[in-house]
Amino acid sequence: MRVPLPKSVARWTALAALALTAAACADDKPLNTFEPAGPAADRIDGFMFYIWPIMGIIFVLVIGGGIWISVKNRVKPEDYDPEDLPPQTHGNTRLEVAWTILPAVLLAGISVPMVAQIWDLEERNDACEPGEVGEGCDGLDIMVIGQQWWWEYRYDADGDGFFQDANGDGVVDGRDQELPLEIALDPDDVVTATELVIPADQQIDLLLTSRDVIHSYWIPRLNGKRDTVPGRLHTWSVEAFEPGKYTGWCTEYCGLSHARMRMSTIALPQDEFDAWLDNQKQLAEVPEVGTDAYEGRELFAQQCASCHVINDNSADFDPGDDVAFTIFDYGENFEAALTSKAAPNLTHFATRSSFAGGIFGVYLGPGTDPNDDALDVSQYLTLAEQASAADSRDDFRVNSAQLKRWIANAPSQKAMDPDDGRGMTAFPQLTDEQLDNLVAYLATLD
Amino acid sequence: MAITEEPLALPAGDSGPAEKPLGVFTRPREATGLVNWMTTVDHKKIGIMYGAASMFFLLIGGLAAILIRIQLATPNSTFLSADAYNRIFTMHGTVMVFLVVMPLGAAFANYMMPIQVGARDVAFPRINAFSFWVFFLGGLMLNTSWFLGGGANGGWFNYAPNNGIAYSPSTGIDFWNVGLLIVGFGSLTGSINLITTVLNLRAPGMSLMKMPVFVWMTLVTQFLLLFAIPVLTVAQLLLLFDRLFEANFFNVAQGADPLLWQHLFWIFGHPEVYLMILPAFGIVSEVIPTFARKPIFGYPFMVFSGIAIGFMGWGVWAHHMFVSGIGPLSVTAFSVATMFIAVPTGVKILNWLATMWGGKLILNTAMLFAIGLVTQFTIGGLSGVSHAIAPSDTQQTDTYYIVAHFHYVLFGGALFGFISGLYFWWPKVFGYKMNEKVGKWNFWAMVVGFNLTFGPMHILGLQGMPRRMQTYDSAMGFTLWNFVATIGSLILAVGTLMTLYNAFYSYFQWKAVGKPDVGPDPWDGRTLEWSVQSPTPEHNFDVSPTVTSLDDFWHRKYVEDDDGAIRRVATGDELAQPGNGEGVHLPAPSYWPIVLSAALPIVGYGLIYNLWLTVPGGLLVIAALFGWALEPADDLDLDDGHGHGHGGDHDDPDGGGNADDLLEMV
Repeated sequence: MRVPLPKSVARWTALAALALTAAACADDKPLNTFEPAGPAADRIDGFMFYIWPIMGIIFVLVIGGGIWISVKNRVKPEDYDPEDLPPQTHGNTRLEVAWTILPAVLLAGISVPMVAQIWDLEERNDACEPGEVGEGCDGLDIMVIGQQWWWEYRYDADGDGFFQDANGDGVVDGRDQELPLEIALDPDDVVTATELVIPADQQIDLLLTSRDVIHSYWIPRLNGKRDTVPGRLHTWSVEAFEPGKYTGWCTEYCGLSHARMRMSTIALPQDEFDAWLDNQKQLAEVPEVGTDAYEGRELFAQQCASCHVINDNSADFDPGDDVAFTIFDYGENFEAALTSKAAPNLTHFATRSSFAGGIFGVYLGPGTDPNDDALDVSQYLTLAEQASAADSRDDFRVNSAQLKRWIANAPSQKAMDPDDGRGMTAFPQLTDEQLDNLVAYLATLD
Repeated sequence: MAITEEPLALPAGDSGPAEKPLGVFTRPREATGLVNWMTTVDHKKIGIMYGAASMFFLLIGGLAAILIRIQLATPNSTFLSADAYNRIFTMHGTVMVFLVVMPLGAAFANYMMPIQVGARDVAFPRINAFSFWVFFLGGLMLNTSWFLGGGANGGWFNYAPNNGIAYSPSTGIDFWNVGLLIVGFGSLTGSINLITTVLNLRAPGMSLMKMPVFVWMTLVTQFLLLFAIPVLTVAQLLLLFDRLFEANFFNVAQGADPLLWQHLFWIFGHPEVYLMILPAFGIVSEVIPTFARKPIFGYPFMVFSGIAIGFMGWGVWAHHMFVSGIGPLSVTAFSVATMFIAVPTGVKILNWLATMWGGKLILNTAMLFAIGLVTQFTIGGLSGVSHAIAPSDTQQTDTYYIVAHFHYVLFGGALFGFISGLYFWWPKVFGYKMNEKVGKWNFWAMVVGFNLTFGPMHILGLQGMPRRMQTYDSAMGFTLWNFVATIGSLILAVGTLMTLYNAFYSYFQWKAVGKPDVGPDPWDGRTLEWSVQSPTPEHNFDVSPTVTSLDDFWHRKYVEDDDGAIRRVATGDELAQPGNGEGVHLPAPSYWPIVLSAALPIVGYGLIYNLWLTVPGGLLVIAALFGWALEPADDLDLDDGHGHGHGGDHDDPDGGGNADDLLEMV
């Protein structure tokens, strides 16, 4: 006997489906590929706009057809009669040829615009040679370097290319995918971490590479992803229609803390970007003698400067050692190349909204207690988003409790292998006061 | 096997009780018990062991899957550490691919294919036993890494240079590498064995185009294995030398290009996915006609689309690398090639639907799982087209969209097909049917659980959730669907366990409640395996069948009248061979396959821990090879009349009378 579905159940099901759909479409998803905010992502999304319905129709026809055939032709076990056979059709060549050719034609039809788009998306990257100035090219090239487990960005600020050869001359060839191993990065360029700051409404060419393993740079709302492969230079680009913060995540499995290798691209209006870049070119200021920050700086020189670079004009911060800028060295200097001076450059640390591979906010929003140890990671990230969205950072306080926890024992905050040369080591010897001084110094680095 | 209708007159070991030269051991005699299982060369017992071992590994891989889902159920979960999570997802993928889905295909191929072609065993019975034991012991060795350092942590794809000693210093990846190398030997020898069986041991009259579709798909699968496994072996040997002996194949500082690994891995890895799905395609191509009570629609199209998939599977590997930076020309070529592999797959789907069209469907559990494959694989195929489109793939690759896609293909497709095959052939293998009521629950729990687990992953992927993430943040908006997927995975786990439960439950029902034996032909079957008793007698066929048409057994039961009506002339039970094996000789069991297989992991442990250990391991390999070669063709101590009337083991080139047998086979 058939029991009709109670109306209340049907209504509840419909409501639940609606609620789920609404939840799926809510715009609190910073990585949503369906909300393109740049031309490349928009093109991909626009092309798929025509493909999804085709797939939907095939889905309904085949699945619906399969279920319909199953129900329609069903013979109940009690009605089974071994003598009563259906017509023994062995096939129908014409029909089968048809459903071989029709999908092929359909796929060929999709292939034509698809191939055009593949070349289109590449073409745009190659249209501007790295370093080229002219129509549609802003002359600014940015190198993106993946590293376990954070991103480094190098802006060709002096415009002479990213690398220096033995004579100090710049060398750039973005189309050459072979990266010369011995050539050092240009120490005069602006070096930042975690957040890629770009001017809005401009295509920015990127050169992608990696210091260690393969990573993948992906800002879903701006463009698809491209792998950063050690020993190779890949071209890619980002462009945002509007100013804003666009989050991303490393998308090639890169070892232990892959899940905590996050990044964002921040698009600024042109004038703000120019101001930002001018500021980044400045050397860090030395705090006044006698302040906490000055103590922190002294401590930094002893404890941190073997890995972290802060560009100021005093000798104890001079990067000097070439290993800081050698991208690859897997030979005898392997561990040194991974750790020495290859940690994030902190020259303008206080202008960033997040640290530790994009998982902690540098600032806290109003109404939160910076010493509250109970704040969990998710709150930091949420507040960091707020901080970056705010016009001014004055309302926000430095996330000192988390910074101190990080400096004192980074591996407890994010899975890392400092003993194997990957990630930041712990500093159990630092006293609470010393940590306060370090944080005070970092907060001056704007 | 000798395909002769009369027992051969030639007595074996006719030199009488000969003296045994040094190093020659008697062959084992046990007909039952543990020793028998360990030394058997019977393709049916080996097939059952393949199945049981797969189920054992399925429990390990499934437990890993549940741990992953518990970890991801809530944002910022600390249930698993990053290190544990990475090892668990790596081992989940590795175990499921190499130790569950692939050997399940081997289980069905081993048990059913020889019977379906009318043979009494595979071409090389001892090598068959070796293939199983090397797979099982290699798989066990791989899994001991759980206790010896915590499992591999490089992902099942294990990309360079993260797989190098510099970035992955723990032994997990060595176990992955050595374990899979050893398992690979089994796949390779197995493929040669099964290809030879299909090509040389078919019953008289069974031309290639009269072979069941499952046999065809097995043949294509084994050719894929034959050519794909060596590529993986090469890649793994390079990695082995890199990790153990400081070679520089993937050392970027020495000029290596890490993409070399990707190319090698995926040239293996893409045929790999077809060799996982094609056996399942073969199974449902047997199940659907049987329960639609119609012949397969468009047999030649089914065969040639399978062959086409086999060939085209070699030309699409770089679609795993669309974002690796291989350049737009390569991307274009592989993108278009990948699109067109949907054509032969689509043909198969439509032909299955056409087989059901106008049929009189018996919707029992086997049929439901087969229909489950057809529909769910279609979803996986459609999502496959969406990332065959390379620009779209740059948004989707390495996200949960891909996770959804390949689970729809490999779980909703391959595993559903294999479970369909379990229900379908269970009575043939064990002599009783699995309970239909539990079966229906099993099916619906799996359908609901499966779609609830992997359906939401499409949404998660398109919302930007990358794969292989130990955790995510609540601000990313992934919370809801991850929670739904975790609920689904628990239902799916219960559903999958019900398959195992049903096997035991039905057994007790059969034994305790005294359900009747099923007889040789419980489903009104179409192919030769239903013409022998259930469970299959050890010798398969009393007399070798002579085949005159496709679905030969069915055509012996039914004839067409002059007016075109189909009339039944006999039942399967009447036609089935009585199962009298008198005078049929069978290859004798042997110790050497398992000894040789056990020696390889010893070498493996030696490579990982202490090279000196490779010396006893290597000596044991050599001893086992000599023992194997010197083993008497049949047991010299044994009189005639124990069913071993004629010497000759067909993997023994010097065996008495072997050449004659081979000639007869061909």
